Amino acid sequence: MPTRSVRLTEALTPLFRIVALWRAQRPILLAGILTALAALAAGIALMAAAGDLIGSATLGIALAVPSVLAIIGLARVTLRYLERLITHDGTFRALAALRVWFFRSLAFGAGGGLGYRSAGDILARLVNDIEALDGIFLRILIPALSALALIPVLIIAIGRESPAAAALALALFVIVAFTLPIRAMARSRQSAAAEAEAGGALRTATLDTLAGLREIKVFGAEGRMLAHVQSQESRLFTAERTLARHTGTLQALAFLAAQAALLTILLIHGTQPVAIVIAAFVVIAAFETAGILPRAGIIAGRAAAAAARVLEAAETPPRVPDPVAPATLPAATSLTFDAVSFRWTPDAPPVFDHLSLQIPAGSRIAVLGPSGAGKSTLAALALKLAAPDSGEIRLGGTNIATLRAQEIHTRITWLAQATHLFADTIANNLRLARPDADDQTIWAALDAAQIGDTIRTLPDQLDTWVGEFGSQFSGGQGRRLALARTLLSPAPILILDEPCAGLDLETEQAFMRTINETLANRTLLLITHRLTGIEKLDRVYRLQNGKLTAATR
Amino acid sequence: MARSVSPAKFWIKHEIKAGRRRAAPLIGLGLLGTLLAIGQIFCAAHLLAAALHPAAAPIALPAIGFAFAALARAGLIVAQEREASRLGIAARRRLRSTTLGNLMALGPSGLRGRHSADIASIIIDRIEALDGLHGRWIPAASVALFGPALIIIAAGLADIRSGLILLLTGLLVPVSMAITGIGTGLAARRQFTAMTRLQTRFLDRIRGIATIVLAGRADAEAATLGQAAADLRRRTMRILRVAFLNATALDLLAAAALIGIAIRFATPLLAGHLALAPTALFCILLVPEFFAPIRAFSAVYQDRMTAQTAAEDLVALPQPAPTAPPPPIIRTVPAQGVAIAFEDVSFTWDEARGPVLHNLSFRLPANETMMLVGPSGSGKSTILELLLGFAHPQSGRITLNGAPLDSLVPAALARITAIIGQKPFLFAGTIEDNIRLGRPEASDAELRDAIRLARVADFTDTLPRGLATRIGDGGYGLSGGQAQRIAIARAFLKDAKLLLLDEPTAQLDPATERDVLDSLKRLAIGRTVILASHAAFAHEFTGRKLDLGTTRTPHLEGVA
Repeated sequence: MPTRSVRLTEALTPLFRIVALWRAQRPILLAGILTALAALAAGIALMAAAGDLIGSATLGIALAVPSVLAIIGLARVTLRYLERLITHDGTFRALAALRVWFFRSLAFGAGGGLGYRSAGDILARLVNDIEALDGIFLRILIPALSALALIPVLIIAIGRESPAAAALALALFVIVAFTLPIRAMARSRQSAAAEAEAGGALRTATLDTLAGLREIKVFGAEGRMLAHVQSQESRLFTAERTLARHTGTLQALAFLAAQAALLTILLIHGTQPVAIVIAAFVVIAAFETAGILPRAGIIAGRAAAAAARVLEAAETPPRVPDPVAPATLPAATSLTFDAVSFRWTPDAPPVFDHLSLQIPAGSRIAVLGPSGAGKSTLAALALKLAAPDSGEIRLGGTNIATLRAQEIHTRITWLAQATHLFADTIANNLRLARPDADDQTIWAALDAAQIGDTIRTLPDQLDTWVGEFGSQFSGGQGRRLALARTLLSPAPILILDEPCAGLDLETEQAFMRTINETLANRTLLLITHRLTGIEKLDRVYRLQNGKLTAATR
Repeated sequence: MARSVSPAKFWIKHEIKAGRRRAAPLIGLGLLGTLLAIGQIFCAAHLLAAALHPAAAPIALPAIGFAFAALARAGLIVAQEREASRLGIAARRRLRSTTLGNLMALGPSGLRGRHSADIASIIIDRIEALDGLHGRWIPAASVALFGPALIIIAAGLADIRSGLILLLTGLLVPVSMAITGIGTGLAARRQFTAMTRLQTRFLDRIRGIATIVLAGRADAEAATLGQAAADLRRRTMRILRVAFLNATALDLLAAAALIGIAIRFATPLLAGHLALAPTALFCILLVPEFFAPIRAFSAVYQDRMTAQTAAEDLVALPQPAPTAPPPPIIRTVPAQGVAIAFEDVSFTWDEARGPVLHNLSFRLPANETMMLVGPSGSGKSTILELLLGFAHPQSGRITLNGAPLDSLVPAALARITAIIGQKPFLFAGTIEDNIRLGRPEASDAELRDAIRLARVADFTDTLPRGLATRIGDGGYGLSGGQAQRIAIARAFLKDAKLLLLDEPTAQLDPATERDVLDSLKRLAIGRTVILASHAAFAHEFTGRKLDLGTTRTPHLEGVA
């Protein structure tokens, strides 16, 4: 059936493309495959020799084979050990390479944009997808190649005695090693999609419940929310159960095929009884190798779907590609928006409609507006995470379309609403903005962000571990750490996007006072929904309907 | 070296003990499979012997026996897979509902300082990782012990010497595991932790990729990631070099058993005792079956280590107090109005940071409003938490209409209270579902009133699906003001007599704040209101003011 084979190739292509990425690791992977095949050969030889010995002995023929048996056995054991070592070493190398490749592709492609659109869970899902690729080499490729290599062995071992039996056994072998795994792959691809969807819904329901615990309790909705979480969980389990049923059936079929092949051999009435015993032993060993392939098919189905998503994300080009022949970065740091129009997608309403804004070097500007008015998009455009549909943005008089994004980032630093705190020490989190900063500079930044005193009370000071998502610190404290990192950056232009979200009014005012004092000659673009009243600003604008208007405080 | 059992170890021991009981049917199926395998091998041995000596015996019976046993074993495979899946699912369902139930019982104050995404990932991913412990590891551990024992008995009944050879190699299995396992066990566990950490680190760096890119550190970070992975690989391989000897020892033992049995039969067979042939073949064919459950067990060793990591995270979650003392007097409060009094209330979240409230006293008559003002950390939220019953004063008492707060059943307290915070809790569902949160049974007329009073219709009328619009995950994104209106409608619908407002407009721009304020003022009429807010906003309400200040000696100003 051509359509089926087309679909199969389509499903396997992403897997092959992942394997093709392991160019530097090719020698060790190849060595792993060869050792695996050698170990397999030794295993088959061992079984054949054992069959020979036993068969001959029961016929009363003494063979001087025990020593041969011992040698083959020892070779088999040694080769298996080497196989395990080499294939595992190769796997670790390949997986490390895959992760670094993914990180780089994402960083220089869509990553900045993805992260900006606060798609943390999309990124987390992609990391799960990368983990789903862990079994490609060890659990899919090697067993599949081993099964291929066994086909001529079976033909020779059985065909000598009975070509008909060989044909039958071979047909059964192909079913176990290839037909059933391909079926399994299709099944698990379907189920993986259903599981991913149900899993996402379960995560959302759990997060909803935890985040809203206070109101859930006040409104007496504990039972209902628990039931809601459990119903999402049940959907996940239903998908799983279906897959488990299919897995069970496939494995039972594989087992039955192996037993049928063995029975066929046992019922041959050949001229050479010993050859039949040898064939029986070889069949047992061959089907044992092929027997793990249906499960490999399940893994392959998941891995193929994951690989397709990983490749898609890694190969999405950046929203704004860098110019082929970039202009040199100007020394001046004025920032100008000139008649800029922008919408995120063609069918979305425009965010900006011929918006113009002058930010002279060293000036302090605030842009006010309700949430959803597109204030943060100003920052995204200035940082070249998105490009205007029409109009121009100039940095120091040069159109930023002609500059490299990475260079622009050395001039503009941005405290985003979703700035990430890494699971690392405070010092390392801050040094991200300025790798060569000494402790004194870091303390100064922490003090400016009004968190230095809190950190000084901690036993580990700058070496204090910031947990995952900054969970060691409260929301407001995390916000201040992110702020300290922004202040530490040497970039001359600062864009602060709701810097005080999660801070109470007093802290907010104290913080603004510090900003007033510590900015020196740096440019400030403050994006916020309201002012505290003590900011020292040169200009205040209100963003409404895609345009800026001068605002009184 | 003093060794105390860590809570995680204790927890997992308990899980395994309980899991073994639940896995009894699956273990039974596994052992039944071993028995069937013995029968099948018996038939196969006779068939092989017949092939060697065509005239020796009839083959119809063993052939039928072989086929029958094979079919039965195939059926068992299906049943085992299904049962293993059932066990894993049941365990995860049980653990997840217990954990979530505990967290709910504990309430929001128990989660202080922990990110909800962090806890959600424990409830989802860590519990998901316990599937292998219950579905695979526990049953495999028992089958690996009893399965080989059955085979030793079968072999011993056929030929006592073969049985002894299997017994000897079987006893050497744990010995060899112990020899290769010494030093690697602990190291392997540490290694596993290191590997988990690297995975976490990778996830962390991917989540923060925008931050890295904008700081221009992508190249440096990629190099560090590669370096960390390479280091881990080198260390892992050092451990695996020893750990794989374990598998090799199994290979060697299997080969030794095979050769031992072959040699044991070679001499008599060569001497012409051909009647021994089926027995010899039977014992030899049993060897792979003898090692199969042991191999299966070492293949799921990973599941045990994954469970260990999961257990550590689970026991580290906040646990509810072992037995919350039941309220001494059970009563409800009439809903006509709620008067509140604090009498010498002191409260401390954290001994190191000192008390948040110190001998606080105030009275608020029914249907009046009180503003709590003061900087963050001065105890505004603490007062609300105390009134919600999520925290209990260390000294002093709080009364509602004269009755001590802790004499109320939690459900009764919940019935008379409504709260609106900075950001309302909205769950993935329709707008109507979200408004009905407090009173799912409310009539349509009541719902309409609430919507009108909270001015929800202002924006739902412009939506094509109106109140049936889905919000949240993948649905319609609400603005901050719209979300607060839903919260206000919710409070109107619930019609609770005690209204707690916690910085309800802090996230809104001034224009939206004004709109929401009007709705809030309407909501406040005829209710007892406690408002925690910044000073400017508090001016909009008339009522008493409690300045918590920085001095921790609050004083009341009667404004009304």
